Amino acid sequence: MVLKQEMKSMTGNDAASYAALFAKPEVIAAYPITPQTTIVENISQYVDEGLLDAEFVIVESEHSALAACMGAAWSGVRTFTATSSQGLLYMAENVFWSGYGRLPIIMPVVNRCLAPGWNIWPDFQDSMAFRDAGWIQMYTKNNQEVFDTVLQAFKISESKDIALPSMPCLDGFIISHTTGQVQLPDAEEAYEFVGPYDDPVIELNIKNPWAFGAMTGPDQYGKNRKDLIAAMERAKSKIIDVHKEFADTFGRSYGNGLVEPYGDDVADLTIMSLGTIGDEAHEAIDRLVAEGLSVNALRVRTFRPFPEEDIVKFAKKNHKLLVIDRSASFGHGGQLGIEVEAVLKRNNVDTPVKKLIRGLGGEDVPYTKIMDDAKEALKE
Amino acid sequence: MPVTQKDLMNIPKDAMLKGHFACAGCGSALAFRHAIGSVADKAVLVVPASCASVYQGSGKGVAFNVPTINTAFAASDAVASGISRAMKRKGKDDVKVIVWGGDGSAADIGIATEIGACDRQENVLHVMYSNNVYGNTGGQRSGDTMIGARTATTPEGNTTPRKMVPFIMMANNARYVATASEAYLEDFVEKFQKALSFDGFKFIQIDISCPPNWRADSAHSVKIARLGVQTGIWPLFEWDRSTNKVVLSRPSKKYEAVENRLPVTDWTSLQGRFRGITEDELKALEEDTERQWNFIRKFL
Repeated sequence: MVLKQEMKSMTGNDAASYAALFAKPEVIAAYPITPQTTIVENISQYVDEGLLDAEFVIVESEHSALAACMGAAWSGVRTFTATSSQGLLYMAENVFWSGYGRLPIIMPVVNRCLAPGWNIWPDFQDSMAFRDAGWIQMYTKNNQEVFDTVLQAFKISESKDIALPSMPCLDGFIISHTTGQVQLPDAEEAYEFVGPYDDPVIELNIKNPWAFGAMTGPDQYGKNRKDLIAAMERAKSKIIDVHKEFADTFGRSYGNGLVEPYGDDVADLTIMSLGTIGDEAHEAIDRLVAEGLSVNALRVRTFRPFPEEDIVKFAKKNHKLLVIDRSASFGHGGQLGIEVEAVLKRNNVDTPVKKLIRGLGGEDVPYTKIMDDAKEALKE
Repeated sequence: MPVTQKDLMNIPKDAMLKGHFACAGCGSALAFRHAIGSVADKAVLVVPASCASVYQGSGKGVAFNVPTINTAFAASDAVASGISRAMKRKGKDDVKVIVWGGDGSAADIGIATEIGACDRQENVLHVMYSNNVYGNTGGQRSGDTMIGARTATTPEGNTTPRKMVPFIMMANNARYVATASEAYLEDFVEKFQKALSFDGFKFIQIDISCPPNWRADSAHSVKIARLGVQTGIWPLFEWDRSTNKVVLSRPSKKYEAVENRLPVTDWTSLQGRFRGITEDELKALEEDTERQWNFIRKFL
């Protein structure tokens, strides 16, 4: 039976904050950066009003925001913070340290492009820079998915067999500051879904001292990294399982949790993308199909771990892929495009791939633009 | 509680097991053994990139007999903040969260993090063991390097005054600030335990000898540190926020008066890093030392 929920209007950042509130993290670090700021502002209010019983650490930088969460995670408590853009870059070494250190921290990244010049609008260059930092990365398409993904992230990351931090990503402003409808579950029922963090993946213990991160020779270091690679692989089925459990409990799903197909199973052209472009593509497809064209979509919801099997399976039966990225890897196209090409090649799938970069620095990507790009791709 | 020589000989717990990688004559390892050993059954250590991240040993043979978290260079006081907050959540307020790191992190790259933790009054003790150099990377100048010292990046002698982190911590309203010396371990352990009795952010800078980077005889480690106090180069004091007063520590009292101090060359001549120091540099070093004393005198 699907639990009863209440429809509310809220921004994407509100949705992320509610998910955090319901999961009851015990240590939260806060540092402002546009467009993330309202998430930690909301949480400061929850703590002040007594809605959330937690330590709220108002740090002096993003570097310290993540470091404080790391200290708390090593101590075995549930932790949360959020950031954007330059802030994410400023915490860089700790992003890797916590990913490679297997600390299950939840940190939404409200995507914003990188300076120069000063621009607060969205693209994915910030989180893409950390795609190999050992974090689970999930890109969301709307406010509802933000809530659902942040809630699921706690359950995925804190599983003992996974023990990886999660970075739910949401397009700055398009999601973060835009009001939309969100089905909000009862707080306690949401908490029940996540469950208490009473069997932590790691916990400092003065009675049984151990050192974390001491000098490690090549043999052990390599073993640790291989463990991380294996955990990231296992995360695929964990994401699917948690997503399924969530769907059974709350009645919402996004494909299988890794990828979300849209439209016909087979089409002349498949539009692949991340985040809100994936949502906008639905509108484009409906109109293109109404015009008699054959177009479907596959939105990549989980970028790390990379859902190779699902993408290959979908690409194999389709005729042409149009991958639209909101970030660039210089000399190669966009990151999603590159990886799609790579996994197709690796699996001997010869479906042609066209790569486009759209929406950098908040450039608008309306469905009309996607329709034009799709028509162009179909002609080639 | 006064700490005696006898107390030093009876460390409650051996915090430094066999298999550590410290250099011969390392003052930091010596200070560690006595200070951390006195609280080892209730301490959690946070170690930024530093000699301590190396001398704790490796793999299953780690020599620190205390839970230890190694962090990025600039991250330790924020990690310590997170641990302290988490311990509070768990009702384990009695756990002592101690940052143990060198002057590279405390005076330079991590100073913003340190001031941040101080500003928030996190329940953390930061011990800065100070060899006035980036020791672990081969002896480059740090903000804590004194005038005239030849380092890997100041081969002709450092020209800038010492960055006095204890004063910075006083200005930022730490709960308790002290300086200490490897040569006076009773005094150090006493300050260490006193610091841990306070809630809030505490800071101790301990002057330790670094024979390899100071190009000194490892047998002279303690002797050089003692001369550092006796020449007035390193004033030992405590400052308590509740009184806003500096109290000169017993080993240093006599040396406030310039005429009682041993000649600075007694101290420099034992260290290869001062070989070739000029008269002008010596004068500048003495002036910078006096600048520190003058700062302290304002709080006496």
